[in-house]
Amino acid sequence: MYDKTIRGVLIKGDKTYGQITSEILAPQERKAPMWWFAFMTLFTIGLAFGVYSMYVTVTQGIGTWGLNNSLGWGWDIINFVWWIGIGHAGTAFSIFLLILRQRWRTSINRAAEAMTVVAVLCAGLYPMIHMGRIWNAFFIMPYPNSRGPLWVNFNSPLFWDVVAISTYLMASATFWYIGMIPDLASVRDRATSKIKKAIYGFLSFGWMGSARSWLRFETTALILGGLTAPLVIAVHSIVSMDFATSVMAGWHTTVFPPYFVVGAIFSGFAMVLTLMIIIRKVFKFQDFVTDGHIDAIGRILTFVSLIMGTAYSTEIFMAWYSGAEGEIYTFFHNRIAGDHTKAFWTMVSCNAIIPQLFWFKKIRKNLTMVFIISIIINIGMWFERYVIIVTSLTKDYLPSNWATYRPTIIEIGIYAGTLSIFGLGVLLFIRYIPMMAMSELKMILKPTSKK
Amino acid sequence: MSNYRILGVYNNEDKLLSSIHKIQESGITIHDVITPYPIHEVIEALKLKTRLPVVAFISAIFALFGTGGFLYWTSVVNYPLVFGGKPQNTLSFIIVIFVMLINVTAVVTILSFFIRDRKGPGAVPYLDYKGISDDRYVIVVDGKINTNEQVVSDLLKREGAVEVAQIGVPETKANH
Repeated sequence: MYDKTIRGVLIKGDKTYGQITSEILAPQERKAPMWWFAFMTLFTIGLAFGVYSMYVTVTQGIGTWGLNNSLGWGWDIINFVWWIGIGHAGTAFSIFLLILRQRWRTSINRAAEAMTVVAVLCAGLYPMIHMGRIWNAFFIMPYPNSRGPLWVNFNSPLFWDVVAISTYLMASATFWYIGMIPDLASVRDRATSKIKKAIYGFLSFGWMGSARSWLRFETTALILGGLTAPLVIAVHSIVSMDFATSVMAGWHTTVFPPYFVVGAIFSGFAMVLTLMIIIRKVFKFQDFVTDGHIDAIGRILTFVSLIMGTAYSTEIFMAWYSGAEGEIYTFFHNRIAGDHTKAFWTMVSCNAIIPQLFWFKKIRKNLTMVFIISIIINIGMWFERYVIIVTSLTKDYLPSNWATYRPTIIEIGIYAGTLSIFGLGVLLFIRYIPMMAMSELKMILKPTSKK
Repeated sequence: MSNYRILGVYNNEDKLLSSIHKIQESGITIHDVITPYPIHEVIEALKLKTRLPVVAFISAIFALFGTGGFLYWTSVVNYPLVFGGKPQNTLSFIIVIFVMLINVTAVVTILSFFIRDRKGPGAVPYLDYKGISDDRYVIVVDGKINTNEQVVSDLLKREGAVEVAQIGVPETKANH
């Protein structure tokens, strides 16, 4: 049972059910503000840059990137893993908290899931264009072909990636959409223009809210949640196995799967926090996203940050304890000290040290500080992937192979493109979709927020 | 005469619940209760059950053996490859089987939900009443089964319905 005196009120302002609907739908029913158009334009320009870069990549080849014989993975895989990590938040957030029956998820889960879908889309782009000949992308599917039929390698983590990420995209998108159907029906019922009513009527799949539908709806959500929770862990474990099953020094460790999963949840929660603070501030949703919500995410981040610190120390300890020269060189002479010191220490301080500030209640209550730390974590998580990929690949076992790596403008362009896709996705989301799960807020209103 | 339905509209969850119990006690069958958010007491009172978990379980079993069989067939029967003497039927198939199990079960569950609940692009709800997706609760009583219309409306009103209305149902459209 939820205890208001201990956990605080989840929806402030002693709201009625009608107020929840009208307040959450208010931003959609107003005219779009100027800043919305300004950011749309900005992201569209960014997207154009990204599309151009992808066009150059596809027509001229991967040679337009800064990769070389030693360093076959650069910004593309860094950003792929980064996006996948962010894409874990929504589902991790929404589903783990659904299964744990944490009621405070209700005002945040919709935005987190929307973010997931867009982030996974961005992530999925990278392996596709990395293949070089994107028109042959269907080769990765196991289909009866005229080459034997020679099937794909079912024991390769790269194939597992294909299966897991596409399943993850499908599952998280449908989970998000199904949860949205009752709220789209609310938009439909309040719509004044005929076109809006028709569009939302189409999108809301004829939802009315009969008791039978609700029972089936909740059962489906729980089944999907139960299925997707292990999938979250599976997807990022598989991504980590892309690294861990190789023989590269610094990658070949058993700590990788949990380390990556926790890292993904870490960066995802940070991104949720960044977005929720912006949404709360811009749309004045402080009654729904209360200080208590921010506080709860802050506490989770403190804990996860400690796990990150443990993972970093474990890696370093194991490198020393193994006595393997390659490992020792990579960790002690190429990360802690050496050419990539800056990236390594950025990663450690952003992920393991600075988030420890969340131990202080004063910091957790200070929205500006929380916002800054959430962005620092995202930067730190990007550097983590940079450290893993670039330090290990630039200096492998053969010193004659050693090379340096600088991203070209094309790689930067593709990254800017995916950032813009993310920005556009978020902007369209806040404009056209109810930002919070209204039916779920109404469900928790009585036990958690009424006097 | 074509069928019709009697609607009792409420604006209070507690009144709705007590009303459902009173209506059931007086022997009237409730066709449907429409609420803007899931209320578990309503689902319990109407004694509703769903078999979606069974569907999910069966599809999971199907996916388990389907994927397992496919991987065995491709790697052992159809085109066996020898990688330095490693076994062709390996334990690592578990990963693909596991993910495909989730994939197939999710798709089948979602589709069964849509089909069973008659939801989909273009589906139209049988009732378009102001506020049912906002803060109104509606008890729907089937007019054909409960012929004494006056008794039903009186009961609904006595139990605190803010409005009692009637809607016609075209004969062709089966219930819901």
